[in-house]
Amino acid sequence: MQRDWTDIFGGLALALIGAGAAGWASLHYDLGSLRQMGPGAFPVGLGLLLAVIGLIVAVPALRRAGEAVPVEPWSALAVLASILVFGFGLRSLGLVIAAYLGVLVASLPAPRRGVTWRLMLAGVVTLLTVLVFRTGLQMSLPLWPVWI
Amino acid sequence: MGTWEGLVTGLNFALQPGVLIFCLLGVLLGTFVGVLPGIGAMAAISLLLPITYYISAEAALIMLAGVYYGAQYGGAVASILMRLPGTPQSAVTALDGYPMARDGRAGAALFAAMVSSFAGSIIGIVVLVLLAGWLSRVAVAFGAADYAAMMVLGLVAASTIGSARPAKGFAMIVLGMLLGCIGTDVNSGAMRFTFGQTELLDGVNLVALAMGLFGVAEVIGNVRDPERQAVTEKIGFRQMAPTRDDLRRMVFPSLRGSGLGSFFGALPGTGSTLSSFLSYAMERRIARRPERFGHGAIEGVAGPEAANNSAAITAFVPTLTLGIPGDPIMALMLGALVIHGVQPGPMMLEARPEMFWGLVASFGIGNLLLLILNLPLIGVWVALLRIPFRWLYPAILIFICLGVYSVRGLTYDIVAVAGIGLAGYLLALARFNPALLLLGFVLGPLIETNLRRALLISRGDPMVFLERPISAAFVVAIAGLLLLSLVQWVRRRRRAIPAR
Repeated sequence: MQRDWTDIFGGLALALIGAGAAGWASLHYDLGSLRQMGPGAFPVGLGLLLAVIGLIVAVPALRRAGEAVPVEPWSALAVLASILVFGFGLRSLGLVIAAYLGVLVASLPAPRRGVTWRLMLAGVVTLLTVLVFRTGLQMSLPLWPVWI
Repeated sequence: MGTWEGLVTGLNFALQPGVLIFCLLGVLLGTFVGVLPGIGAMAAISLLLPITYYISAEAALIMLAGVYYGAQYGGAVASILMRLPGTPQSAVTALDGYPMARDGRAGAALFAAMVSSFAGSIIGIVVLVLLAGWLSRVAVAFGAADYAAMMVLGLVAASTIGSARPAKGFAMIVLGMLLGCIGTDVNSGAMRFTFGQTELLDGVNLVALAMGLFGVAEVIGNVRDPERQAVTEKIGFRQMAPTRDDLRRMVFPSLRGSGLGSFFGALPGTGSTLSSFLSYAMERRIARRPERFGHGAIEGVAGPEAANNSAAITAFVPTLTLGIPGDPIMALMLGALVIHGVQPGPMMLEARPEMFWGLVASFGIGNLLLLILNLPLIGVWVALLRIPFRWLYPAILIFICLGVYSVRGLTYDIVAVAGIGLAGYLLALARFNPALLLLGFVLGPLIETNLRRALLISRGDPMVFLERPISAAFVVAIAGLLLLSLVQWVRRRRRAIPAR
């Protein structure tokens, strides 16, 4: 049977997060009393509330047909990889190389073939980045790899 | 400080070149992102948050506000010319604006959108000044219990009103409030949910959260969007000139839309999307020939555009006078102010007149700039509509990374943006609204503080929320909204069962 899987998984995931947060908070933080609420009281309340709402989302979805969701795994992967390449490369490789590589990785899933436009786009964006953030905003970032 | 005196102070402040430039920058950037489908005002404001560290709090607020209402103008352009609303509010404008453009009346539709947006803004400014003055006098009497109840009302309203699935909205708000608990508890100093990571001691970074949820997640969702077709029609002044009939049809819808927008914008949790939908529905209901709607009725452009622009302005009423953001964009504005160490509240009108009156004056100036600039610049915006998204999004990603890095200089925050972006993309796929998460994130800590204070004062007696008349009124409203959405849910189920 076709079920509304997005709401089932989404609701259950939220319910688990809520129950987990409530459990963790009740074990590690002081609940206090109503008059003098401790640091644990509010998170425990919220966690339990989220667990209940998650179930309210998930349970009715069991008996209902849902629509398929268009997932773009490659877009997500390329975008996240681009951020991580840039983030970890920023201090070791320097702004220029990190930005150039970051743009190249990000442009991989774009709906247009060809290498030239990607290389050129990376060049233009890198130049803009250096102009805006190094020259304009004067952020202290290494331009080139530290070993040069 | 009287109204006129205040306006003069505000104009003097907002017309300084160092402030005016940020107003201009804000409205131009706002129009730009409003025109571009794929990134919205939320993403643009989050991207600008780090830049606001370099300027004064007043100039920052004026610039961010400019982005917000500028995006409404830009969104109208994209909806009319391409039926690609850049903002949710302008989706309504596409209903009749796009058919007008297809009939070769794009110029008249754009004129109607801009002039009624301007009229809506001016009426919004008047309402803002009147309401803010009154509310900040009343709000001095508000206690902790009243604040807590009002904020909860705002959250409940934001997730129930106009929502098909209130439970999913609530889930996002509670998740946001839980994220808001992360970090050092101000009352006890306990470290909550930090798991030994010192980077989390100050809580989740608002800039990283907003950029991940709205920047990264929106980029992922739009990367593979098909190329958009270019607009072929040339639009100049001659095409913009409305006929006498157009003008006559625009006046009352604009006025009615402004009234609706000013009212709903000022209420917490409703905002400009709802008011533009309501204005459209109202115009269609009272029209003598409702069948024209959807086929290029100019009333259907003028009313909603006036409504969403006036709502965008009166939305600042609760934010500035009570320190309570009514919608997610206002939550970002409040976040920007808190970054600068400014806590808005009833005293702000007196304590920082330049901030309040400067902002009010900047609304007038900014909208005038939009009206003057957008008519000749329309060709530029049309050209911008032709920029393929594949040229833009890699640059957006790099700018997001550097923006979030500039706040604390930590690679940790860039990695966090990637993680939050992935979470935001998954939430959007499953049709959870990440904007509500952000609203909960900003309001959660405020609610906790006021709740704890209220219960401390009442010696642990929860009846305090019903004994104080102000908070009792809010509690009744909360119960009413919850009951209403329960009734709607039951009705929908009853209707669904015989269908099986």
